[in-house]
Amino acid sequence: MPSLRLDGRRIDVRDGDTIAAAAYRAGIRTFSRSLKAHRRRGLYCGTGDCANCLVTVDGLPGERACVTPARDGMKVDRETGWPSTDRDLLAINDRLHRLMPVGFYYKVFARPRWLWPIAERVIRRATGTGTLPLKAPARRMATRFVRVRTLVIGGGVAGLAAAATAAADGSVLVAEERELGARITDPAARETIARLAAEARAAGAEVLEGHTAIGIYEGPATAVLGRDELVEVEAERVIVATGAVEAHGVFPGNDLPGVWLGRGAAVMAAIHGVPIGDRVVIVANTDEGQHLADAIRAGGSDVALVAGRVLEARGSREVSSVSVLTPEGRRAFACDALVLSLGWAPRDTLLRMTAEPEVVGAGDVTSPGRSLADAEASGRAAGRGDPVEPADAGPWPVAEQDGYVCVCEDVSMHDLEHAWSEGWTSSEILKRYTTATMGPCQGALCSRHLAEHARAKGAAPAARGRTTARPPVRAPRLGDLTGAVHEQVERRTALHERHVAAGARIDHSGVWLRPGTYGDVDGEIRAVRERVSVMDVSTLGKFLVAGREARMLLDRVFPLDVGSIAPGRARYLLALDEAGYVMDDGLLAALGDDTFYLTSTSGGADRMEAWLRNWTDRLELHAHVLNQTAQLGAINVAGPHARDLLATLSEDDLSRAAIPYPGHAEITVAGVPCRAIAVGFVGELSYELHHPRGRSIELWDALLDAGAAWDIRPHGLDALDVLRLEKSHVYLAQDTMPDDHPAKLGLDWAVATHKDEFVGKRALERMNALPLERRLVGLRFDGPPQRGYPLAADGVIVGRITSCTVSSAAGGPVGLGWLRAIDGTFPSVLRAGDVTATVSPTPFYDPEGVRLRG
Amino acid sequence: MSMLVTCPTCGRRPFTEFSFGGELRDIASPDAATDFARVYLRDNAAGPQQERWFHLLGCRRWVTLTRDTGSNRVEA
Repeated sequence: MPSLRLDGRRIDVRDGDTIAAAAYRAGIRTFSRSLKAHRRRGLYCGTGDCANCLVTVDGLPGERACVTPARDGMKVDRETGWPSTDRDLLAINDRLHRLMPVGFYYKVFARPRWLWPIAERVIRRATGTGTLPLKAPARRMATRFVRVRTLVIGGGVAGLAAAATAAADGSVLVAEERELGARITDPAARETIARLAAEARAAGAEVLEGHTAIGIYEGPATAVLGRDELVEVEAERVIVATGAVEAHGVFPGNDLPGVWLGRGAAVMAAIHGVPIGDRVVIVANTDEGQHLADAIRAGGSDVALVAGRVLEARGSREVSSVSVLTPEGRRAFACDALVLSLGWAPRDTLLRMTAEPEVVGAGDVTSPGRSLADAEASGRAAGRGDPVEPADAGPWPVAEQDGYVCVCEDVSMHDLEHAWSEGWTSSEILKRYTTATMGPCQGALCSRHLAEHARAKGAAPAARGRTTARPPVRAPRLGDLTGAVHEQVERRTALHERHVAAGARIDHSGVWLRPGTYGDVDGEIRAVRERVSVMDVSTLGKFLVAGREARMLLDRVFPLDVGSIAPGRARYLLALDEAGYVMDDGLLAALGDDTFYLTSTSGGADRMEAWLRNWTDRLELHAHVLNQTAQLGAINVAGPHARDLLATLSEDDLSRAAIPYPGHAEITVAGVPCRAIAVGFVGELSYELHHPRGRSIELWDALLDAGAAWDIRPHGLDALDVLRLEKSHVYLAQDTMPDDHPAKLGLDWAVATHKDEFVGKRALERMNALPLERRLVGLRFDGPPQRGYPLAADGVIVGRITSCTVSSAAGGPVGLGWLRAIDGTFPSVLRAGDVTATVSPTPFYDPEGVRLRG
Repeated sequence: MSMLVTCPTCGRRPFTEFSFGGELRDIASPDAATDFARVYLRDNAAGPQQERWFHLLGCRRWVTLTRDTGSNRVEA
């Protein structure tokens, strides 16, 4: 026979058993210990609504034993109590409980402060449920996005009726926590569900079984958790048909093992065939009493059915007797199980989570305890979109003077009284102070009791409402919530495999993967400075801007005198935002009078596109922006022999007359059509070859083959960082700050202030009228500097190093850094730790730019 | 949070496909003094407000729409 192990004990499992059914059949009555008082807790709701039966299953805590199917070989552990759930020494807390009223910790451990961290550790060990498996690998959950006209939550009578009706109006999705019709004891209800399910499916509704809606968010958007997927449902309307559970009775002894809510007890007896006791007393004030009595009797128990008010249950380990105030007077019954059907607690948490008018209830959740026909009618009305009738929650049991209101958090009637007397006189404040409704069941049992208590105490209408509900309704695992978050967007250039094959260290650079170095940074630098080298710069943002007003657009947006760029020429370009701050930089090449090619930084490509499209739109200009970043590859060929190398692969004219600096030409290299742009980022003669991405490998291989004559080697980001720093070119974001206008960076030469209008012009005028309080400077050091180090003048910190390197080409350690003015002047000699820094003219290497003009 | 934004080319799409471009503002200022208010000051309306949204993960067009900042309801 299949079996599971519960706390190491072997327990037989029968077909269809839940963990709770198998354990209960084996005589287990205590399933957990309560949070604070360590009182015994047994199966209570039996429907997955309360937190009494949370167990650890195969190492994962927080599983509801009453609804989790038992499997052969399962390892189940009860989570609470020390040393065990059955023999819990901490049950002494139950005696001391009266000495530790609500708020006890806040008050007792307020002084001295050092005591609390110690006390907290002890308290945490004594309370809490389960242990998180910190080393267990997270499951990979998929996240699926679904858009439907109508989402129905709950596959009961009302939900399926709503789905069947709503399907005439568009797509319908039904999320049902279990299987349709599972654990329904009433044959008529089962038949109705089968009929409506067939009707709904025939009408086109999709039914997701084993899917629990855990929260409704603005939109409305609903998070639906399945076994292996998180479904995010965008629905135009949501029908909540989650039904109701029996009301929680509050009386002395109400939390004893053996006290049951009706429907769960009926399921245990009628579905699982496990008698819930020998002598069962059913106290029913709803009209389900006779059905419950029949179901439980069929399980093999003696049953007494009464109506009335439960005054008290007694018992030590389990319930042994109950006092009921019946119409005939007070009566006492000996029993070993007490079943309650005192009224209805709608599962309305989802409805209380949102004020969206598109979210409505149907069936038991709005008017519980009605007939099957009523539930079906209610569902059909909601499915049609008819107005929802006002809620009628049916009978509700009066709370006695004592008993546990919130079973999860061990909050008793005494605690509520105590809190009230301390001045916490509204339901929301009572909730926060006592933590009632804040346990694993999220107030499913006690939320209305809290509101009723505030009402009974005479709270103002605004202070006696139901407390706000928040997601999640059911406890998800952390792994469920991270569904698909593991996915990392990575962009690779067409040459990625070549870099990997060459043994490059691949770095993440924004969303791109780029080679950091091919193993010898100094060798890569020397190749650029002394011979020839190539770098994959396909990550650059690349845009075609064309149209009869393209020139007007670019001239209006950028601080560059676009009118002065003749076709065939290119210019360095700054992009300023409306506050005059530097947003990005790049290169603008004029292909013709109304066609331009624009490059931006690799990380700024998306922003540049959005930015240009916005201005095209707002200025209502006839211009088009085509983002060619993914369409084109780019290889920078740099070094004194760059032209010699290209000459071996191209028959085109490569002279300065044909490709001026800065300028460009369309040439063919190794049979690949290229736009060659003569640029100077690394400070040597260089050509950026922009070409169709599909031909990158061919071009790269040809360049490396032909370059062997000059001992060519490719360079990566590490070498580039040194090369550009020798030329004191800034890296945006590394060397700059969000509020840098061009003058602070020494880039004011790139701003055509004489133009009538460009984005940021007014702001620049305003800022340029103010004294410059901060600027980026070149620095030379007398020892090895460190990036990020503060710069001090006369012991006062006035800036920091943003980039630095030890460079042979620059003749020693150099860097860039921020300085702020002191009394209007910038200091020129600074200390950076043990090193002296001197403000130096830039660039550090080839200041006249002879080499790059070639 | 979730809401749907109507894009003129793509129809009603989840707002996570869009990037927010802020309140609709003038595109130019007559002088430096008024420019400061145009660039830095926002109405931050509690209620309907005209905004710019960019359909980043869609057609890559900008749309001007009215959103109620209290309810996040978006008019087309």
